[in-house]
Amino acid sequence: MSTVFDAADVQGNILRGYRKPRVRYLILEVADRMAARRWFAASTTGRDDVPQITTGNWGRTKPETCFNIGLTYEGLRALGTPGSSLATFPNEFIEGMNARALKLGDVGPSAPETWPDPFGDPRRIHLIATIYADEVAQLDQVQQRALTDGEAFKLLGALEGCSFPKDAVHFGYRDNIMQPRFAEVHDGQRYEDGQPKAPLGTVLLGHPTNFEGLRWRVPQPEALGHNGTFNAFRVLEQDVVGFEEYLDQAASDLLTRPQIDELLPPGAEEKIGQALSIEGLSRHAALREVVAAHLCGRWRDGTPMALSPDAPDPKVDQANFDYVGNSRCPFGAHIRRCNPRGGQIVQRVANNSRRLVRRGMPYGPLYDPAKPRDPTKPEPERGLLGNFIGASLGAQFEAMSCDWLNLGLQDPRITGSNDPITGANDPGTSWFDLPLKSGTTIRLRGLPRFVRTRGGAYAFMPSIPAIRFLGSLMA
Amino acid sequence: MPSDESWLDRFVSGLPETRVFQRLASWLLVPYWAWRTPVKPLPGGPHPSIQPGDNIQCMMNLIMPLKDKSPIGRAKAALAIAQNKDAIYAGLDNVGTVHFARFVIVGDNICMFSVYDGDFTNYIRDFIATIGGVFNAVVKLVEGGDAVTPCEHNVEAFIQWVHERDLYQVPDTATDLLRDQEALNGDKASFGHDDLRLLPRKVVLQLRANANVSLGSGYRAYPGFSAAQVRNQLGIGW
Repeated sequence: MSTVFDAADVQGNILRGYRKPRVRYLILEVADRMAARRWFAASTTGRDDVPQITTGNWGRTKPETCFNIGLTYEGLRALGTPGSSLATFPNEFIEGMNARALKLGDVGPSAPETWPDPFGDPRRIHLIATIYADEVAQLDQVQQRALTDGEAFKLLGALEGCSFPKDAVHFGYRDNIMQPRFAEVHDGQRYEDGQPKAPLGTVLLGHPTNFEGLRWRVPQPEALGHNGTFNAFRVLEQDVVGFEEYLDQAASDLLTRPQIDELLPPGAEEKIGQALSIEGLSRHAALREVVAAHLCGRWRDGTPMALSPDAPDPKVDQANFDYVGNSRCPFGAHIRRCNPRGGQIVQRVANNSRRLVRRGMPYGPLYDPAKPRDPTKPEPERGLLGNFIGASLGAQFEAMSCDWLNLGLQDPRITGSNDPITGANDPGTSWFDLPLKSGTTIRLRGLPRFVRTRGGAYAFMPSIPAIRFLGSLMA
Repeated sequence: MPSDESWLDRFVSGLPETRVFQRLASWLLVPYWAWRTPVKPLPGGPHPSIQPGDNIQCMMNLIMPLKDKSPIGRAKAALAIAQNKDAIYAGLDNVGTVHFARFVIVGDNICMFSVYDGDFTNYIRDFIATIGGVFNAVVKLVEGGDAVTPCEHNVEAFIQWVHERDLYQVPDTATDLLRDQEALNGDKASFGHDDLRLLPRKVVLQLRANANVSLGSGYRAYPGFSAAQVRNQLGIGW
């Protein structure tokens, strides 16, 4: 195993984000094994006009377009990876995302049986190629080059995302504020966040992990597994109309509660209005924002509840905070569930162990609350094309999903409830507690499922030498 | 109501109770029948579920044959546990999701029974990270254990190894066994069309494939609470 780490050996979207405004995912099936292997071999150098895989060392200037790939288990098989090698991949990857539905909360309307094509038949999904660019024309051009030989792959489907101004996502929150930082990687966009730097093994196989003394199995041969990682690719539909309606309903409900003045002291709506630059904000409208902030753990402008629980504050550090002491960030808030930072959790050994690199971009049109809806027309589909990257799907993405997002095992005060934003909620049983300064809580009920899974796949993102290895497979 | 059973019906019904028939069945009939109708062993552990109540106070039942099947081997196992008692308590404290852990020697097997909250793989992984040395001390005395120790360097294989030794939990509703068999075989077609006359035979063949099982998934005297909820309620910290 090489001990010197070289970012040029690793695919470029793992350790740093490109921050390109457009993305397109090509869902591909291997049509001709030999042609696909030639394509793999060519992709590491950009030979034969195949788009060159962007590496972690892109020099001083970012490339105009970036190109990366992930293979499913079926894809590795389709390329002719030997059985002895396939057997060294982890179970969850071999079984695939569809088979892990219960662990991921993909039940009912999110169940894989309801996923539209190309996700209806996971055996045919072999390769997910991702293009990042500034313009649609560039996406088209790279796509054309990727499929130019016409033999290697069959295009099963394409999904396109586009970033919104100020890093906003559907539901109106600012996103993409936090990512794990690595000692080995300089990233000018990541600064001190009060969290320990992540070891490389968080996202790369063959390196020390967040669990002291533990290493994940590197798929064999070493040339294939080392410096690779796994990606949970998810198509997550967001019900923005349902979310805004729930905020209305919750705000109206809260106005009838006796402890309401503790949650929103008389006149506090002005302070929230000032921060949001809205004059004459009503108590109801302010309460909608209060609820939205509690559900997420951040005000919609990104201000962490942990630092500014009463109103958004642009002067507050959005990254550097923790959940120690009497933090007023709800125990069940989305960002606290996903990453409890240094806060007390039941599984004391697990605080930093389930961290993920997230590369996501919205799809579908931006929702405009000011624009009246036409009730006769269905809402356009919108959501997030998400990549949740980690060296162990089981120890990171799945562990976070099954015990923390749903179930709420990390804190006895939320056990039995699901994540208020992304959880597999049912209005009949769901609940969420808003903490008050006095130490008591107000319980909200009736949260529906706001995020519905519409597709996805577990993919292995091989290192650059591994892509060459796959390209050189014989037999 | 008068019985309309003939003497032949009564004879056939009474057959399984006769010693001759029982011998015949266990020596010939069941083995032949199992050869004709192969049944795969069902996987162990709790039934997968999204309901919160099904994911707390889950049971793990491991029965692991000792390498050394003698009083000396059993004594080594007893010592391995005794020597690691403090580490076991420290592990329970740090992992935080375990209600009880019990070690029992039955015949030449060391059995580990525990009641834990949440996902099985997370529970074992967190234990490896906390007190992997205890697992190593026990598992190295067990048949097949050398292949997965030290567990810290064989995390995935170790979790799989434990899962494969976790006892199948026979559902309380007898026909649910058929659902488990269907799920194992990837067959959903016969749902709702059970021939109940075949059920006893299927149970016999399944218990031949899974010789050791847990009957039910543990019966609680009170609703399911997580270990941390109990500790929090008792005010003893979590």
